[in-house]
Amino acid sequence: MKWWSWILSLIPAGLSISVSILATNEIIPNPVIFLRGNLAALVSRGGVTISIITIVLYLIWNQSQKKHEKTILDMQNQANEDRRRFLQRLDHELKNPLTAIRAGLTNINYQPLEEYVAGEVSAVLAQVMRINRLVADLRKLAALEITPLERITVNMAELLTDVISVLEDQANTEGRRLSLSLPNAPWPLPDVDGDADLLLLAIHNLLDNSIKFTAPGDTIEVRAFDDGSDIVIEIADTGPGIPENEINRVWEELYRGKKARGVPGSGLGLPLVRAIIEKHGGNIALRSRPDQGTVFSVRLPAS
Amino acid sequence: MIMTSKQKLLLVDDEIAITDRLAPFLSRAGFDVKVVADGESALTEIVSFSPDLVILDVLMPLLDGREVLRQLRQKGDWTPVILLTQVGESTERAMALIEGADDYINKPFDSNELVARIRSVLRRTSPGQPPLTVAERLRSNELVVDRTKRRAYLDSKEINLSPKAMSLLEYMITHPDELLTRERILDAVWGWDYPIGTRTIDTRVAELRRVLGDDPSDPQYIETVPGYGYRFVGKVEKTT
Repeated sequence: MKWWSWILSLIPAGLSISVSILATNEIIPNPVIFLRGNLAALVSRGGVTISIITIVLYLIWNQSQKKHEKTILDMQNQANEDRRRFLQRLDHELKNPLTAIRAGLTNINYQPLEEYVAGEVSAVLAQVMRINRLVADLRKLAALEITPLERITVNMAELLTDVISVLEDQANTEGRRLSLSLPNAPWPLPDVDGDADLLLLAIHNLLDNSIKFTAPGDTIEVRAFDDGSDIVIEIADTGPGIPENEINRVWEELYRGKKARGVPGSGLGLPLVRAIIEKHGGNIALRSRPDQGTVFSVRLPAS
Repeated sequence: MIMTSKQKLLLVDDEIAITDRLAPFLSRAGFDVKVVADGESALTEIVSFSPDLVILDVLMPLLDGREVLRQLRQKGDWTPVILLTQVGESTERAMALIEGADDYINKPFDSNELVARIRSVLRRTSPGQPPLTVAERLRSNELVVDRTKRRAYLDSKEINLSPKAMSLLEYMITHPDELLTRERILDAVWGWDYPIGTRTIDTRVAELRRVLGDDPSDPQYIETVPGYGYRFVGKVEKTT
């Protein structure tokens, strides 16, 4: 119970007691003298009763409120637990058949094969590897939800430079103008406490997305700056943009936008990015205009 | 005529779909393979078939792989074991080594990679001897790794490593003299394949070298194998 609610509920008791004391001591003039004693007692009892009733009612209300919050929390925990189990079972149920399929295909490959059959086998193997990656991504999502973060001091400026230098050399980056701007004045980009591998994965996924959805001639800008206690990383591109009705859905697992058809990906990239950023106590938002481009902004608490 | 007997493998997995595909592959690779589908039979066969190495699935009904491994090591049986893990959690993988597995491989895996692991474990282990993977403290030159405390010391001074670098060092020092490809390190230490994962490994190896004061051109501990990965070249022994 909060201090002010005690004071509020004790006001009737306080008032009535002081009124009755004042009345009994004849400080308050009262024409009905003979009733004075009884009336004073009555008033003070009434006031005390009102106070007690108020306190009791408040306590009951407070308790039910807490219970309500607890139920919501329980339901959320239960939902998370269910989801975690579901992902783990899915992971498990997919891994055994995948292991068998891969072993079987490897066996077939050891036989002399007609050209046609060999082609089919390698096509099937490529699809198996695709499911493999999907399962791996699902596992990453599940693992993120249950394992505590490894926290070390991460130099985000270095990490961004690293990701960009790797992606610059990638074949499908060709023709895009890729740039990184980092602050130097008045101070460089602050560090972040977190898991360097996961943060690298998140930034890589975002930037890789921009590269996949843009065409040669497009511009991709990575900008980082600090904003008080947070650092902000923006990844902006002049790509095709995301239609308004799809903007909120890109965070859903396995969702693939209309324009994403024909672009390789599992549909788990962005949900994974969001999970990583939120696990670090940060958040991610996106703004997009059709035919103009998209900007993702990642906000992470600085260390 | 000299008869070289084939090395014997015991393959333990309750998924027939897997054992039916894997057993012929392992036979073709030159091993004498026996298959069982549960932990109880595994314990019996380890005694009667006396395999040179056991490939043990973790998740099995009745008696799971971990329990089989535990009972085996408690009896003082040091038959080399490769665990087939399912849940790719790093803690689970680290535990597998502490509990006495010689190596582990995540499902789904490539049959050729499994054969490569079998060969390197067989090359590394000496029959009847506990493997390095079960030692609590290991020493190489001036480096001491305390695996239960997850701490490392250089010249008796504790060194500061990030948790990932520590896991990497632990895996490397328990698999000395083996070519550790970047793919294998990623699978074993990180548990998933990373985009630009090779870069991730190189960063951690650089961290290890810096902390250990190891010169890549004249390595006392970690040697670079160009185009493949790394090799722990320091001589490793158990210590107390």
